[in-house]
Amino acid sequence: MRLTVNGIERGIESAPLTPLLYVLREELGITSPKAGCQQGGCGACTVLVDGEARRACLLAVAAVDGAEITTVEGLGAPEALSAIQTAFHEHYAAQCGFCTSGMLIAAHAYLEHGGSGERESIQETLSGHVCRCTGYVKIIDAVAAAAGGEITSRQKWLPQTGEESPVEVPGAPA
Amino acid sequence: MAIHKGRGISAIEYPTGMNQNGDPSQAWIKMKPDGRVDVFSGTADIGNGSKTIQSQIVADTLGVPYDWVTYDNSNTDSSPVCTGTFASRATFVAGMAVKKAAENARTKLLEIAGKELEIDPADLEVADGEVVAKGAPQKKISVADVAVAATWTHGELITGTGAHLNPYAPIVDSETGRVELPPHAAISYAACAAEVEVDDETGNVRVTRLVQCFDVGTAINPTLVEGQIEGGAVQGLGLGVLENCYPYYPSVEHRGGQFGSYLAPGMEDLPQVDTIIIENPSAGGPYGAKGIGEMANNPQPPAIAAAVYDAIGVWVTELPITPERVLRALEAKAEPRREGKVVIFDEELSVNSVSNGGMRFEVPA
Repeated sequence: MRLTVNGIERGIESAPLTPLLYVLREELGITSPKAGCQQGGCGACTVLVDGEARRACLLAVAAVDGAEITTVEGLGAPEALSAIQTAFHEHYAAQCGFCTSGMLIAAHAYLEHGGSGERESIQETLSGHVCRCTGYVKIIDAVAAAAGGEITSRQKWLPQTGEESPVEVPGAPA
Repeated sequence: MAIHKGRGISAIEYPTGMNQNGDPSQAWIKMKPDGRVDVFSGTADIGNGSKTIQSQIVADTLGVPYDWVTYDNSNTDSSPVCTGTFASRATFVAGMAVKKAAENARTKLLEIAGKELEIDPADLEVADGEVVAKGAPQKKISVADVAVAATWTHGELITGTGAHLNPYAPIVDSETGRVELPPHAAISYAACAAEVEVDDETGNVRVTRLVQCFDVGTAINPTLVEGQIEGGAVQGLGLGVLENCYPYYPSVEHRGGQFGSYLAPGMEDLPQVDTIIIENPSAGGPYGAKGIGEMANNPQPPAIAAAVYDAIGVWVTELPITPERVLRALEAKAEPRREGKVVIFDEELSVNSVSNGGMRFEVPA
């Protein structure tokens, strides 16, 4: 079996009925999809399978042979966050972070499918994702901001020109 | 068969900073040769933001920019002792430990800066990464240059340790019978107003709004405080109307066997949440902070219970207020049922009728 994970084609050696979640976490070492309830109830394992948000814990890897898989690592990089990642960061939408990768993937899919950004539609779309610490308020704020175009992707973390130069250390060995 | 709307309020207090002598936190700070600061503290950040808040405390106390501070709690061998992240203590107790450590590091920093500027350290102050002579702002040296000088000129390490342990306070002194010290170092207060809709046919309670007001002392990071309170709102909603491990405790029958049978609030259960932060500084916490962690989910369940009473006129005295409990409470409120000649025993009615002339309903055999 083969999977294209975050743009890189990978051969898969796990048994065909292994859940995609374990293939990602254990065979490929990509641990951003979380093993939460592992019964399809909490949403923490959500990944994009050919652009659709799916529960990786309930998908046998053989059923998605040849598919393109995207995890949060594929949405953006620390130095170039995607719009939804930027929005989560700006709105403090993560606390412990366990639900965050699943939330990000589902919210990204919602935006890609032209989600309106109205609170009711966000609540309906993300209702299968359980968060125990944020109270959802700031997550909904973040998705609404990204859907409304208030927040776009950014490259804020790259060193800015004009920032202070490294400290010179007199007398230090070169 | 109708939807009844109701409103209820609750008020709580919550202690932080246990004075039971078993709750220490220690911290260690060292400054690198470029002025950047490493903080070693034992509090795990479980999403409560303690890493951010303690870094803020260090940056403010030491007078360096926030992004100069690296907070390292990754290794229990290299970090000093901290009993952990619980009891709303991470900001209050561990925050005091890092504050004291930063004060000690600042003393060392000013000592070296005093040598460099040839000024008495007592006449120096530090802010925004610069050590400045009080009253003579042209005499200054950057913290980075002080760190360089400490390392390469003076052969010193700018470092500081700090620890916080609230003094032991017995609940009541066994000899005097008095409380000599308050058992808690700070008390936080909160009030919550809930609006609910109760369906008297299904028994379902829907929480439509929670207005929450928390006195947290100084809010060192208001957005994170707000996050704690919003999170508490939804946890409190779960405790109030949804979450139940054993519906017939102490019987373990009908307990949930899987994830889906334990109802945690989802995004669609979210009511309108209004958060009000009141800053009433504490005497013992870092910069006047109090604890907010555990109390965040305390005021909602009683406010919801009061709102349910307001809506349907019965108190549901067990949490969570499930549809079954609402319906049973409504049924108990109704007149005793008379089925043929059998009268269902009602204790309250029985007592009334005894006091009203001795007439008494018989308990059916």
